[in-house]
Amino acid sequence: MCFSDGRTARQQADEEAGNWPKNFKFDILLFCGLLRRGCDLVGERGRAREIGKGVDKEAATLHGGHVLDSPAGHRPDSSFSVECFCTILSLADGESLPMRAEPKKKKKVDPRREQAVRDRLRKRLKKLERVPPELIPIEDFITRTKFLDESRIRDPPKLPVEETERRALLMKKWSRYKQKEHEKEAEMIESMIEAQQQALQELRLESEELYQAAIKRNQGLFPLELQGCRFTPPIANYEAPNGKYRDITKVYTQ
Amino acid sequence: MAAATLRRLPALGGRALGAGGRQGTGRPGSWLHSVAGGPGHTPRLEDWQRCGAVCLQRAATLSREKNPMESAFAQLLEQVELEKSLYSDHELQVFEDEEKIRWRQAEDYDSEEEEDVGQDIVTAQDLEDMWEQKLRQFRAADREQEADKKDDRSTLNRRLDEKLTLLVKEKVGDEEIWLLPQSEWKPGETMRQTAERTLSALSGRNELQAAFLGNAPAGFYKYKYPKAMRTSDTLGAKVFFFKALLVNGDLKARRKGDYVWVTKSELKDYLKPKYLRQVNRFIFDTAAMYP
Repeated sequence: MCFSDGRTARQQADEEAGNWPKNFKFDILLFCGLLRRGCDLVGERGRAREIGKGVDKEAATLHGGHVLDSPAGHRPDSSFSVECFCTILSLADGESLPMRAEPKKKKKVDPRREQAVRDRLRKRLKKLERVPPELIPIEDFITRTKFLDESRIRDPPKLPVEETERRALLMKKWSRYKQKEHEKEAEMIESMIEAQQQALQELRLESEELYQAAIKRNQGLFPLELQGCRFTPPIANYEAPNGKYRDITKVYTQ
Repeated sequence: MAAATLRRLPALGGRALGAGGRQGTGRPGSWLHSVAGGPGHTPRLEDWQRCGAVCLQRAATLSREKNPMESAFAQLLEQVELEKSLYSDHELQVFEDEEKIRWRQAEDYDSEEEEDVGQDIVTAQDLEDMWEQKLRQFRAADREQEADKKDDRSTLNRRLDEKLTLLVKEKVGDEEIWLLPQSEWKPGETMRQTAERTLSALSGRNELQAAFLGNAPAGFYKYKYPKAMRTSDTLGAKVFFFKALLVNGDLKARRKGDYVWVTKSELKDYLKPKYLRQVNRFIFDTAAMYP
C-alpha cells in the first residue's frame, strides 16, 4: 500500500474532499472490466466482489499477476491507485457508467438533434414514396383467363381437298390482283407528279416571281378535317330512339 | 420537251419550233421563237395570255362497293377467321341450352330435381332470332340517289361514291365549249389567287367553300386562239390548273345548263380531246382504278 508519488497537490485535495479524481472513470472502467475478465478466467463472479471489498480505503495496487492476469497486459503500479472504497458494479452489455461528471446539455442541442432525426425520417419516407408510376395496362395485349378455358376450343374443320385447293388458288389470284392495283396507283401518282412538274416549268418560263410564289408552302392547309366515307348515306328525317348513353370505358390515371 | 409542245399545240399552228429559250424576267415573252429556223425567219415575241383555272372536286361521301375479286377474298378471310377462333360466350350459352333440353327430354328426367322450373328461360337461340328480326326491320338509305336514276348531272347529290369535278360552259371565240372554270391573270397576283378569284366569281359570296391543295399548279394547257380572235400581241392562252377540295356549299347562282358535276369517265363527254388529255393526267377516281 503505497501512494503513488505521481499525484499532484490538486489530486490530493480532491481526494481529501471525497471527490473522485478526474482520471478515475477510465480507471474504474478498466478496473471493473479487468475484474470481470479476471473472474471469467477464474470462474467466479462473487469472488471479484470479495476482492473488491477487501480493497482498502487507502490504496489498492494491482500488480500484474496476483489476482488477475489481465489479458490487457501488465500495468504499472502507478496507474492503478484507488484511494477510496469503490463498489464494483457488474455491468450489463453495452451499458456505460453514469457520467455524473458531465452535466447534460438539454437546452439547444436536443431540439436541433430531434429536428435532424425528424428530417432524416422524412427523407427516408420520401425515398420510399418515390415509386415510379404504374404503367397503364394495354387491354388488347392481356389475354383474359376465361379465354384459356378448354371448352372454348373449336373443333378443326374437316375441309375437302377441293376447298383447300380453291383457297390456295384464290390467295394467289389475290396477290396478283393486289400487285396490279399497286402498279396502277403508282402510275397515277407518277402521272400527277409529272404533270405538276411540267406546269411548274412552264410557269417558270413565264415569270420567275410567279414561280417562286408557286413553290412556297401552303400554310393554311393544315389542320384539315374531312369526314370519312360510310357505306350508306344518312336516312332522311331519321328519329333516333330515346335513351341514355352510358360510357363505361375504363380510364386509367397515372 | 419539243415533242411534248408539238403535241399540245392545236392543229392550227404549224410553225417550226426550236428548243425554248428562256426570256428575260421583265418581259413575259414566249419561248416559241425558233432558234434553229431558216434564214429570214425573225424570232417574234408573242404574248400568251395567262389564265388560272380551278379544278374543284367534291370527295366521295360513300365507300365504293367491292368488286367480285374483293368480295370473294373478303368471304374467304371471314371463313378462315371463324374457323380459327374460339367459341364466344353466346355460342357456349347455346350449347348449354341444347344440353338442358336434351336432359329434360331424357327418359329419367325428374322435374322435381330441376331447380329453376318456374322461371321463364329465354334461351340464347331465342335471343339470336330476336336480333335477326330487328336487323331485317332496319332499312338503310339508298346508295343510289334520285339524280343517278334520272342521270341529272347538274346536281351535287349524285354518284356519292365517286369524286365529282365541276365543269362550266364558256364562250371562247365563237363557240361555247366546256372547260374547267378559268379566268385571266391580272398583274400583281399569284396564279393561285387567280384561281381563287375564279372560284368566287362562279358563285356568290360564301356559297362555295373550298380548300386549295397547294400553291403549285397541278397541270398546264396551252392553246391558240382561233384566227379571228388573235390580235397582234396575243396568240393564245396558257392555262394553269389548281386543285381544290369542296368543303361546303353548292353552285346556285349559275343557270342550270351551264355547269355539270362529272366523274372522270364522264369527262370525255364534254371536253375536247387535247384538253382532256392534259386534264386526265391529274384527275383520277376510283371507278377507273379499281374495276
